[in-house]
Amino acid sequence: MNDLSVQFEGVSKKYAHFSLENIHLELPTGSIMGFIGANGAGKSTTIRILMGLVHQDAGSVRVLGHSMPADQAAAKLDIGFVSEDMRLYGAATLAWHMDFLRPIYPRWDQTYAMELARRFDLKPQQKIKGLSHGQRVKAALLLALARRPRLLVLDEPTTGLDPVARMEVLGELMAVLADEDRTILFSSHNTLDVEQISDQITFIDRGRIIDSDDKEAFLDRWRRLRLVLPPDGVVPRLPGVVEVGGSGRLPVLTTNRFEPAMVSACNDLGATVQAVDTMTLEEIFVANVHSRRERLTA
Amino acid sequence: MHSDIVISQSDGRPMYLQIMEQVKQRVAVGDWAPGDEIPSIRQLAVALRVSVITIKRAYLELEREGVILTQQGKGSIVAPNQRLSPQIYHEELSERLDEVARLGDLLGLSSEEIARRTKEASDRLNEARLTKEIV
Amino acid sequence: MNWSMVKGLIFKDWYFQRTAILLAFAGGAVSLGIVCIGGQASFTIGLILLVTVMVMISAMTVMGNVLGERENQTLPFVMSLPISYLEYTTSKILGNLLIFVPFWLTIVAGSLAVIVASPVIHGFFAFAVIMGVEILVNTCLMIAVALVTESKGWAISAMVAGNLAINVVGYIVAHIPGISNGMWGTTIQWRPAATISLVTEIALIALLLVGAFFIQSRSVSEIDSHSG
Repeated sequence: MNDLSVQFEGVSKKYAHFSLENIHLELPTGSIMGFIGANGAGKSTTIRILMGLVHQDAGSVRVLGHSMPADQAAAKLDIGFVSEDMRLYGAATLAWHMDFLRPIYPRWDQTYAMELARRFDLKPQQKIKGLSHGQRVKAALLLALARRPRLLVLDEPTTGLDPVARMEVLGELMAVLADEDRTILFSSHNTLDVEQISDQITFIDRGRIIDSDDKEAFLDRWRRLRLVLPPDGVVPRLPGVVEVGGSGRLPVLTTNRFEPAMVSACNDLGATVQAVDTMTLEEIFVANVHSRRERLTA
Repeated sequence: MHSDIVISQSDGRPMYLQIMEQVKQRVAVGDWAPGDEIPSIRQLAVALRVSVITIKRAYLELEREGVILTQQGKGSIVAPNQRLSPQIYHEELSERLDEVARLGDLLGLSSEEIARRTKEASDRLNEARLTKEIV
Repeated sequence: MNWSMVKGLIFKDWYFQRTAILLAFAGGAVSLGIVCIGGQASFTIGLILLVTVMVMISAMTVMGNVLGERENQTLPFVMSLPISYLEYTTSKILGNLLIFVPFWLTIVAGSLAVIVASPVIHGFFAFAVIMGVEILVNTCLMIAVALVTESKGWAISAMVAGNLAINVVGYIVAHIPGISNGMWGTTIQWRPAATISLVTEIALIALLLVGAFFIQSRSVSEIDSHSG
């Protein structure tokens, strides 16, 4: 399945104090992409451009085969969107929202909607303004999921949810993917969630995509090598070393191009490799951003 | 059948390795018999709430090691020929022992001390089995 | 243009403003009643009340359903629906006009009927028509400003300016020779001056609405205070 649900090519957008530059993004149908970035990095702007809510200054955006923002109405018929700053109508009930959306979306599944309400512990007859934050997030997700969209676009879907609710939401998101024609893009601070369920991961920092790859490749490429140097030893120079930490005779090298051959290379250069640590996605992200910012200021 | 496999988040090893190990255990123990159907990649991904790409990798490795077979468009089954599975455990044992040797060396232990510690670990395992803590 | 979606959006807006709309109609009915009591004093008072109520309705509905989306942060939800910004704009313009116009029409027609029914004030006819349409112009101004600026500050300014404008226009029109010299008479007169005034007003309405529509279609709304 090689067609793309989402394709950004050379997308740029300028604001007074921030700009998005040269964004390339490819999201294959049937996969799930996690979008990680610090606050203000550009995740939300990118997502809004994807939805046609913000018009890019340059570059092309295609979503489900439609050109955005020109064709946004057609594209949005197949998209479920939930963002952190989105609010439902406080004066209305969840049931009202379901009734409002039902005639709009041809694939609306009312049975599934009620099932989700049960699983998410939501009462359809309750007014939105009476719901807690977590419940509102779940309500918005319910409304997005019940339309059986081909593409789910989520901006911070698990932020503000308690651990149990998070697990439920992750479960529902994965259930969406049981159908291999459906795709998910979600942005999150929660690197654990992203690490667990994403197929593809994209890092964004200060308006630029700094890395994008499939998750297993990320986890494979990045390692920390803990070395022990001999008394007059020098830190070995290796390709792909992104950061050197530690001190004195115990340097720690962080690399994004790990290969087993590196271990023997270190040994050949006189440094004993004491340990080769894998890195969590969070550590990878921080190291990536850190090294990039250092390079820019150097 | 799906909930048989349980992923531990605090386990430091990559997810795909955990999955592989659990599949191999089930096969080794006989829960999943040769020729039995196992969950499809997507089914397992949904059940475990783990990305498809991770399950795919685990299955690919398992197939390479001869533990399972994937049939085009028909899902996966436990490989009818399981003669390779003890081999895999031997490989893993060798790797682990190398690591034990390295750690012992780091701590400045002698070979005898390392061997003694290994035996202690084995004794603990047998004791636990006797008190029915594990099957 | 997806009229089915536009309809859905309009009904949604009306649903959320149902109380305000009902109250406004009630206020209008009361004012009309006062106008009908008879006599110049109650006629004038009633008329002023009517104008006030009408301006308030338009302010309320426009602020409510145009600016309300921005305030309540429901704009992302609405824009996530399968619509383009054009459909959104259309639903706001139509939604507001469809509430206002029947009400306005009833009141203006009612006032004109009262004028026609009592020969004493027949002369007011032309003036009343022009001022009636002026109020519609005012409402369209508010709608246009609220849509294009999406700002409460600007909308309120437009409302205040519009209110003042009505008075100013009223004064000016009342002194146009073609109209003033028939105003206090007992015959209905329609002079070219009246026609010109009316045509100008209608042109203004078209300009405001089409202008707002056009501006909106050029700049896709930036639903984004840039928070990353």
